[in-house]
Amino acid sequence: MPHAPDEGFRAKGATPPSTETFESQVLSLVPALRRYSRSLAGSDSDGEDLLHDCVEKVLVRRGQWRGGNLRAWIFTIMTNLYRDRHRRSGLHPSVELDETLGLTAQELSADPLESTRLQQALNALIPEYRTVLMLVVIEEYGYQDVADMLAIPIGTVMSRLSRARRQMAVQLARNNIVSLRRPK
Amino acid sequence: MTNNRKTVTEDDLHAYVDDRLDEARKAEVELWLRDNPDATAEVRQWQAQAAALKTMFSAYATPREGDDELLKPAGSAGSSLPQWRKAALLAASLVLFLSGAAAGVFGGHLLGGPAPLESAGGLESLPGQSKTAFLVYASEKRHPVEVGADQEAHLVAWLGKRLDYRLVAPDLKPQGFSLVGGRLLPVNGKAGAMLMYEDTAGKRLTVLLGKNPENRETSFRFESANALETFYWIDGTIGYAVTGELSRERLQAVAEECYRQFES
Repeated sequence: MPHAPDEGFRAKGATPPSTETFESQVLSLVPALRRYSRSLAGSDSDGEDLLHDCVEKVLVRRGQWRGGNLRAWIFTIMTNLYRDRHRRSGLHPSVELDETLGLTAQELSADPLESTRLQQALNALIPEYRTVLMLVVIEEYGYQDVADMLAIPIGTVMSRLSRARRQMAVQLARNNIVSLRRPK
Repeated sequence: MTNNRKTVTEDDLHAYVDDRLDEARKAEVELWLRDNPDATAEVRQWQAQAAALKTMFSAYATPREGDDELLKPAGSAGSSLPQWRKAALLAASLVLFLSGAAAGVFGGHLLGGPAPLESAGGLESLPGQSKTAFLVYASEKRHPVEVGADQEAHLVAWLGKRLDYRLVAPDLKPQGFSLVGGRLLPVNGKAGAMLMYEDTAGKRLTVLLGKNPENRETSFRFESANALETFYWIDGTIGYAVTGELSRERLQAVAEECYRQFES
């Protein structure tokens, strides 16, 4: 288990000093963990399920925590759980790489269909790519922090990030959006 | 990140998108991007992705009632599965069961709001239904439509009544298409309408209208399958799809014109 450094994390919500109990520290991290689990999962229920398994595992393994950044430690546990579940369930959607359609900068909005499309593009990513994309974009961890958490070289982080972004772009381009509003 | 002032690497571009560069390097990358429109387009795409992902998941980072239940050690009193957990397991098994049939299921339950499952699933099929209608009717020589353009007033009144909507047949003459006529047909299991147009070379396109159970507005999107292009959108209580064997540019011009002329 790599121990992520305390310093250098860009993410907010740093671990409070250990005057609090372990449980209350974990509890304060639950909202962040919920977001991360949901960003990895294919649905709300799968996200809650992953969150629950993760907290359960954290409590069982509390003796293995050697201090340091609790948040990063738990995130690593969550990431491993997600990867294992994904392997077990065999839910590996295959991704064909078509040529990228001419892309223009699109305003991706909170449009319900747009969210569905985005979720489908995410679900098509393999777990290794999705994990890196989410840790960088949603959780705002630095590249080196992600490398430490996943125990991979930073070059691998960068190439996974790049592949995740390009595959997302290809998926999203499949059913591209043209913004259009009726003139008032 | 490299400190080479002349070369901007792909890693720099990611760091730029993720706002991990210091001000000086950021300025250099911005300068470089001005001369590299392809890279700029890609960077914009990545930025849009990142913004959309943040929007999508930010709502989940909130405490919820019952979070402390998560921390109750297994085996203690009342540690049987909480209600949500049972529901989640049931839902998860349903998702697995249905996943082959409906990829849209995975896209459901977004943003913690009301589940857009049914409507999104329904709309996904709109372009599919539009393509089928085009393939079936546009190739028809003798009876492509039930009511011809010579009875346009009757046509729109009749179909509009079945759709409960003030239907007009858009005037697409500036785009080179004149009305052939229309027919009643099922869309999403309810009464829907199809209008057909053709240009002077006999090239046809169809416009499909179906009831949309939820009143909402979406952006415009397209789907390509073989040589067929389909543009579709939802506006208020009606979902629309325009299909033709035309270039995307030409069909988009038609779809935009339809969008303007159809009232929400």
